[in-house]
Amino acid sequence: MATKKLYECFSKALIDEVQKWGAMKQTGVSLRYMTEFGSKASEKNLLISAQFLHKELPIRIARRAIELETLPSGLSDKPAVLKVRDWYLDSFRDLRSFPEIKDRSLELDFTEMIQMIKVRHNNVVPMMALGVQQLKKDLNPKVVPEDLDEIHQFLDRFYMSRIGIRMLIGQHVALHDPNRQPDHVGYIHTKMSPLVVARNASEDARSICLREYGSAPDVTIYGDPNFTFMYVPTHLHLMVFELVKNSLRAVQERFMDSDKVAPPIRIIVADGIEDVTIKISDEGGGIPRSGLSKIFTYLYSTARNPLDEQSDLVSTDGVTMAGYGYGLPISRLYARYFGGDLQIISMEGYGTDAYLHLSRLGDSQEPLP
Amino acid sequence: MAAKTVAICELISKSFLDELQRWGSMKRTSVSLRCMTDFGSSATRNNLCISAQFLHKELSIRLAMRAIELQNLPYGLSAKPAVLKVRDWYLDSFRDLRSFREIKDSSDELDFTQVIKRIKVRHNNVVPMMALGVQQLKKDLNPKVVTEDLDEIHQFLDRFYMSRIGIRMLIGQHVALHEPNPEPDRVGYIHTKMSPMEVAQSASEDARAICLKEYGSAPDVNIYGDPNFTFMYVPTHLHLMLFELVKNSLRAVQERFMDSDKVAPPVRIIVADGIEDVTIKVSDEGGGIPRSGLPKMFTYLYSTAKNPLDEQLDLRSTDGVTMAGYGYGLPISRLYARYFGGDLQIISMEGYGTDAYLHLSRLGDSQEPLP
Repeated sequence: MATKKLYECFSKALIDEVQKWGAMKQTGVSLRYMTEFGSKASEKNLLISAQFLHKELPIRIARRAIELETLPSGLSDKPAVLKVRDWYLDSFRDLRSFPEIKDRSLELDFTEMIQMIKVRHNNVVPMMALGVQQLKKDLNPKVVPEDLDEIHQFLDRFYMSRIGIRMLIGQHVALHDPNRQPDHVGYIHTKMSPLVVARNASEDARSICLREYGSAPDVTIYGDPNFTFMYVPTHLHLMVFELVKNSLRAVQERFMDSDKVAPPIRIIVADGIEDVTIKISDEGGGIPRSGLSKIFTYLYSTARNPLDEQSDLVSTDGVTMAGYGYGLPISRLYARYFGGDLQIISMEGYGTDAYLHLSRLGDSQEPLP
Repeated sequence: MAAKTVAICELISKSFLDELQRWGSMKRTSVSLRCMTDFGSSATRNNLCISAQFLHKELSIRLAMRAIELQNLPYGLSAKPAVLKVRDWYLDSFRDLRSFREIKDSSDELDFTQVIKRIKVRHNNVVPMMALGVQQLKKDLNPKVVTEDLDEIHQFLDRFYMSRIGIRMLIGQHVALHEPNPEPDRVGYIHTKMSPMEVAQSASEDARAICLKEYGSAPDVNIYGDPNFTFMYVPTHLHLMLFELVKNSLRAVQERFMDSDKVAPPVRIIVADGIEDVTIKVSDEGGGIPRSGLPKMFTYLYSTAKNPLDEQLDLRSTDGVTMAGYGYGLPISRLYARYFGGDLQIISMEGYGTDAYLHLSRLGDSQEPLP
């Protein structure tokens, strides 16, 4: 396995620049700010936004690139991790070599460039998962990765940062869309109905279940159908999809070979003053209390890992019912990104309840790990 | 009110103090639920003697530890009249134990059992008395310093009350083993075939009765689970915890639907039996608690209701239970849950309702926590 040091591939000048930018202070943006700024997407505003990103993105990307070089337990040397590191360095170079954004033409070019950066990083999550798996194989089998606390903390920070970077890029790019949907500001829907998103996500999850098992339990959703609030629908869809998918799988596995009718998954959408809370309840048999902490660790999954034994990148379009064990921890990061949270409580022998808290306040700054 | 700070040395001899320090630094021994049950099932004279000798030593250690801690509390809490009273109870009990003779035969053992029984009664009102002490502290502090934020005091109270649960469990078990006509399947306080559904039913009825008394009506409580399922646990502990949780739920629902045309939705209890745990969920649609307010629920002296002990230095009878008390129900319920290796978690959906999850460990091997 080739351990390629930074200086063997990249010039010293670049390395110095990475260090310099990686030490600069990050600037967080709130959901409310993104919405207000994006509502008036004049040429001038787009220029300001591009100039902000031209400075902010290199800081965040450099920070992660440096961290990728200094991971514990030899994780930094794994081929998959080196690949991710190279993506980060290439993107940093693209940003730093872009000229000062002075006019609309440059702003448009810049927007195209950051869109390409986003695409380059599309598969970071499964690639890092592969890297951790490569590490798992090499380590003494007695050292359980779940115990490698440092690595988990790193991954939490790393993925949280990635959510922020992709949100900023996505927002800026979306503001150029000539066909904006009403009440949308980029990725943000100012009048999002959580009930509608929950329904869509549930249907998507049920169809995966149907495909894999031949049948799928019902999902019933309770809540005010007229209630809307400001949020990012794609984020909510991702989280609800993950949670419903897990619930369906648990119920299906429990009742598959039984005469009894599978009890439905129940979703309740509650609107409070501080939070919108979405509870997803199942009667899938629950998880023992001793096993609960594991479900938020990376690389814990009770299903076969679809990336196992594969060195090439597998297309992540084929979603399966159980994956490489990242769904829950990453869903929690999405929830926390805008000041919310995800909690899972289980009743062993009965079922599991997942509580998704989404902050309504909108003033929460992005977390900047 | 001027706080009378009476230093220990003014009242008690130096040799006593030395003994206190000595015993307070000895290592404690914890007991598991299983061990208590196994030991208690064979309650021969010989065994009772062994148990008494163990308690003679163990209780002295635990009481001394607490007495010393009571003298060293932060923010001047140790000097508050109510706290001094509690400290005196601990010192008196320690003295009773240390001055008792070596337990050699059945007669010694019976006398000893009487002594510890009286000790338990002496300490009956420790919780409201300490609550009063914290309240006295609250008054004296700068109003800007919110007591809920005084983390050190909360940690102390958690340790203190957890220790008290253990002491009272050990005493109660030993005393109960002398019962000439024990009920079937009972070993002292422990019921080897306790039905959680039955306990849930009686605790809910008690809670509904209080609600009826205070509000004139009470929401329904529906209980779901296997009526034939039983396991080994302490019914009084479970009753206390469920009573507290159902009481809170009833209050929330009642207050929300009192002036409304809608029918109050029932409080729902689900009893689930797993391999590691028995989990009991108490769910209500009482409107929920904002996420920012949730940590406060487990602090001492947070209550949205009037404190019944306020302005009273005399000890009030604690027989009169009210719907909302001095803010100790939830944190103490959680201590009971944790005592035998379980837990209590509360999650709320603001604008909808609250779910409380009581996890009771089935394994029985959990050692007593010794904070």
